Amino acid sequence: MDNGDAPDIEANLTAVNAPVSARAYLTEMWHRRDFAVAVPLEELRSAHKTTLLGNLWHLGNPLLTIAVFYFVFGVLLQSNRGIDHYLLWLTIGVFTFRLTSSSVLGGATSISANKGLIRAIKFPRALLPISVVISHVLTFGIELSLLAVFTMASGVGLSRRLLALPVILIVHTALNTGGAFVAARLNEAFRDVQQIIPFLFRLLQYLSGVMFPIQRLLGNGIPGWAKQAISLNPVLRIIDLYRWAFLGTEVDVGATMKTAAISLALLWFGFRYFRAAEWRYGRA
Amino acid sequence: MAVRARMTDTLSIRVRDLHVDYEIFEERRAALRERLVKHQGTGRRVVRALRGLSFDVIEGQSVGIIGSNGSGKSTLLAAVAGLLPPTSGEILVSDEPKLLGVGATLLPAATGWRNIRIGCMALGMTADEVDAAIDDIAAFTDLGEALDRPLRTYSSGMRARLHFAVATSVRPRILLIDEALVVGDQAFHKKASERIEELLGTAGTLLLVSHALGTIGETCERVIWIEQGRLRGDGEAADVIDTYKRSVG
Repeated sequence: MDNGDAPDIEANLTAVNAPVSARAYLTEMWHRRDFAVAVPLEELRSAHKTTLLGNLWHLGNPLLTIAVFYFVFGVLLQSNRGIDHYLLWLTIGVFTFRLTSSSVLGGATSISANKGLIRAIKFPRALLPISVVISHVLTFGIELSLLAVFTMASGVGLSRRLLALPVILIVHTALNTGGAFVAARLNEAFRDVQQIIPFLFRLLQYLSGVMFPIQRLLGNGIPGWAKQAISLNPVLRIIDLYRWAFLGTEVDVGATMKTAAISLALLWFGFRYFRAAEWRYGRA
Repeated sequence: MAVRARMTDTLSIRVRDLHVDYEIFEERRAALRERLVKHQGTGRRVVRALRGLSFDVIEGQSVGIIGSNGSGKSTLLAAVAGLLPPTSGEILVSDEPKLLGVGATLLPAATGWRNIRIGCMALGMTADEVDAAIDDIAAFTDLGEALDRPLRTYSSGMRARLHFAVATSVRPRILLIDEALVVGDQAFHKKASERIEELLGTAGTLLLVSHALGTIGETCERVIWIEQGRLRGDGEAADVIDTYKRSVG
């Protein structure tokens, strides 16, 4: 077999498992973009049988969460002192935080939930966590329109700042996709990760100023390293950005820039981290 | 008949000194705590599924792969499909192979229709291409109203029909079939054979794993016999099947 004509006869062949460059991989993903969109779309459709009531159920969970937080933090603990339109402020926090938590948790299970597909067909596996993220962005679109209605109803009115929403959503989605990639690989290696993630997010929820302004915490005599960690929390800054867009509350420009950098860095790292173990997804 | 590639033939698949090992976890996979405490999970061991396999397949050739259970046939197909990475050695192909496995479930909770759509898109079709092809694919499956039911309610024969229709909808140049034909009934068998003929007629290549030696004899001109991950025989279908039968007794 290793005779002189070997190079000629192999001219039209390519190695099955040849390492794929990031560029070629992305091209392949782009080529199958319909797949990434079809999976979540059909899921939404089949999960709730396309009924209006069914789609409203998507909102049931966050709305009940908001009611609970409003009662505990607004009525009982009175954390809403000094915040105008606390209910709206809280709703923005809950909706945007949920986009991150559900994207990452969904990303974690995206490999195990699609084993059949993975074992049967070779395609860029990164499409699976991405399709989860897309699915939650679609739901978030409904929530954003609901927020717009609430904002008008509460007399705040719609500001021109809302034109920045697409940019904010892009940074937010970069962060969520990066998180989904990391969670997908970790959960594939250690099946307990999906059990731990909800607790991590519960902690993160307290540190992201979803129910009460985080500045209150930062003012107290807490250790410097904790302050530092909290102020670097990208979810906190992203929620601030949405609140700025809807309510005109203050944002820390420097911290926002850092957040954008952190989000893009996480996306880049997550993609590489996910891809490095791609070959073993769905096995054993 | 060409068993080894000649200068005049166009190579379709070249497998060179292929080794595939994989780790298996007995019972279940290690949890985080076990990994941290015991370093390695419980019951982890390495299976050497393929141990130095080499062969060439030329365009338009249909090759049957036989061997006893656990000989490495399915591993070989998964490796050629790019679903299992080789531990060492090389697999070269002229086009992206499509694998058709009997166990393939795609999306168990989704309806047949949705499995066709998603499956075709995973294979690289756009939504428009799927729209254009879906009626033909559905007709080929002959599943009728069953396409409205979730895939998990299908029998293995019905699943094979659906999967065969999806995998061949993109007219692959290299088709790998793992037992999927055995579970189908006569009608499906006939349809599938016709499509395979069509494929081979247009310089397509087929690797067929089966325990049904009759099917192999009918469909394939050449047979590769593997045992314990090594090549045991390679040649004209009738000859190799004869030798195989005699060895089994």
